[in-house]
Amino acid sequence: MTHLVAAIEDQARRNGGAPALSWHKATWSYAELVGTMNRVSDALPVQAGDRVALLLRNSPQFAAAFYGVLGAGAAAVPLNVQERSTVLARQIAHCGARVVLADAAHVEFAALRDALADTDVTLLALELVDSENGCEAFCASLGTHPRRSPSAVSAGALACIIYTSGTTGRPKGVMLSHGNLASNASIIAGYLGIVPADKVLCPLPFHFSYGMSVLNSNLVSGAHIVLEDNLAFPQVLVKRLQDEGITGFPGVPATFALLLGRTQLADFNLSGLRYLTQAGGAMPRPQIQALRAALPQAQLFIMYGQTEATARLTYLAPDELDEKLGSVGLPLPGVEIEIRDPSGRVVPEDAVGELCARGQNVMLGYWDDAALTAQAVRDGWLYTGDLAHRDGDGYVYIDGREVEMIKVGAFRVSPQEIEEVLATLPFVQEVAVTGMPDALLGQAIKAVIVPREGAAPDVMSVKAHCRAHLAQYKIPKVVEFAAELPRTSSGKVQRYKLA
Amino acid sequence: MSDALRDQIRDFILENYLFTSDTAAIGLDDSLLGRGIVDSTGMLEIIFFIEEQLGVKVKDEEMIPDNLDGVNKIANFVSSKRQAA
Repeated sequence: MTHLVAAIEDQARRNGGAPALSWHKATWSYAELVGTMNRVSDALPVQAGDRVALLLRNSPQFAAAFYGVLGAGAAAVPLNVQERSTVLARQIAHCGARVVLADAAHVEFAALRDALADTDVTLLALELVDSENGCEAFCASLGTHPRRSPSAVSAGALACIIYTSGTTGRPKGVMLSHGNLASNASIIAGYLGIVPADKVLCPLPFHFSYGMSVLNSNLVSGAHIVLEDNLAFPQVLVKRLQDEGITGFPGVPATFALLLGRTQLADFNLSGLRYLTQAGGAMPRPQIQALRAALPQAQLFIMYGQTEATARLTYLAPDELDEKLGSVGLPLPGVEIEIRDPSGRVVPEDAVGELCARGQNVMLGYWDDAALTAQAVRDGWLYTGDLAHRDGDGYVYIDGREVEMIKVGAFRVSPQEIEEVLATLPFVQEVAVTGMPDALLGQAIKAVIVPREGAAPDVMSVKAHCRAHLAQYKIPKVVEFAAELPRTSSGKVQRYKLA
Repeated sequence: MSDALRDQIRDFILENYLFTSDTAAIGLDDSLLGRGIVDSTGMLEIIFFIEEQLGVKVKDEEMIPDNLDGVNKIANFVSSKRQAA
């Protein structure tokens, strides 16, 4: 398989009436999904290689738009729906998107429309209805257009740009090809054994690589994806797992901590739950064991990867959990992994170095940033920035990260991005942001501000400023004021001393 | 349900999620999730607030939108739990 769209069209030909995606009261069949994908392709005023940004939350409409863009030979740029309009407009400008497909009801829609008013970007306002006529309403908002003739797109062509933890001055847009997406999806579907009878409950956002890999791997397999908007009510979620006969559930460590801590799993009949997947950061070993004890019927797949590798690089098979607890497993088929020292030499077994990977899932590079790409991909090898070692059997263990990145739940947050936003406050002389331990999320964000002389700043106004300019999960949990920041003798701020 | 209880809940949400003292920033029947005021982590923090500050234990099965997704809903839930105690 080299193209997702062709694989999903195949599923529609085999069983067009089968359910593809459910969202609230709406269920879209494979035939409806493919029909709507084609409507999106036809409606797009684009040429091959153009970028089309999506501001659409998880919904069947997101899937139709995403694959519709790919089908038109353009590249989809799924934007983080939690971001504010300033960041969204910046990313749209950065990737040079010709068209933005946006949810007309999105809270930032009006601000984004204003921000794009003086540009030549076409903003298409779409209706996202979560009831039975959602498909018709969405198609109606696309308008009627002549059928586009299918375009032949090479497997190496750009399919998608995912913005990951960059900064204001330097957004990081990970470029993935059609071949990247298709190969990773088919390998994941293979090891999870996804079949058309599967029904996965997905709470993960499609605009990040984990959620996107769930979307792709299930739809190319003909499975049914049931969308869950949030995890605020874990008991409700577990009841859905039971009542809807869910067979697969992907989560991050905080998801499973919530299920273990805030639900009575034993009160539900979850016998249909065939597998769980965990990625998005290391899950503590006791939590892995507690999860297996609570849901012994479900196979637990521990997985590791990053956006720059499309999604997955390794996984630990369920039957290896006891023997290799703490490991993220072995490389996926077709993926090579080496642990290298700073000079690029492979280190001996059990020695820690940087995890490097090569395979069909390694990104094309960062959009419009040849220098950053040259740092990350050298001679076809992706330098992940993750520190790791391998045991005598080749199993991979993650030991930390080389770069300063805060991991809030499964979100990677650049401290510089928060610092840049805080630095625009008039009373801020200096600021440093770091991660601090958090019982639920692993890490929370802490900001330490050195105020200008004579200023009388308050925590609430700092947080209000963050709320206006940053996605919710990037708002510092703790804001402190200090007379100075800890520095090295060369003047570099020592962020780790602030936690 | 007392006005004082409702105000206490509203003020907690204003201060911790909207970072303002402007009471017009939230409607008493607004959905906290639907308006993007809190996410799932914020909802857990609200439960801690209910348990620690308002003295009402929230059972797992009581964590449902009808009890928690809005100022009035939380106030009604807390009030009925206090009466039942």
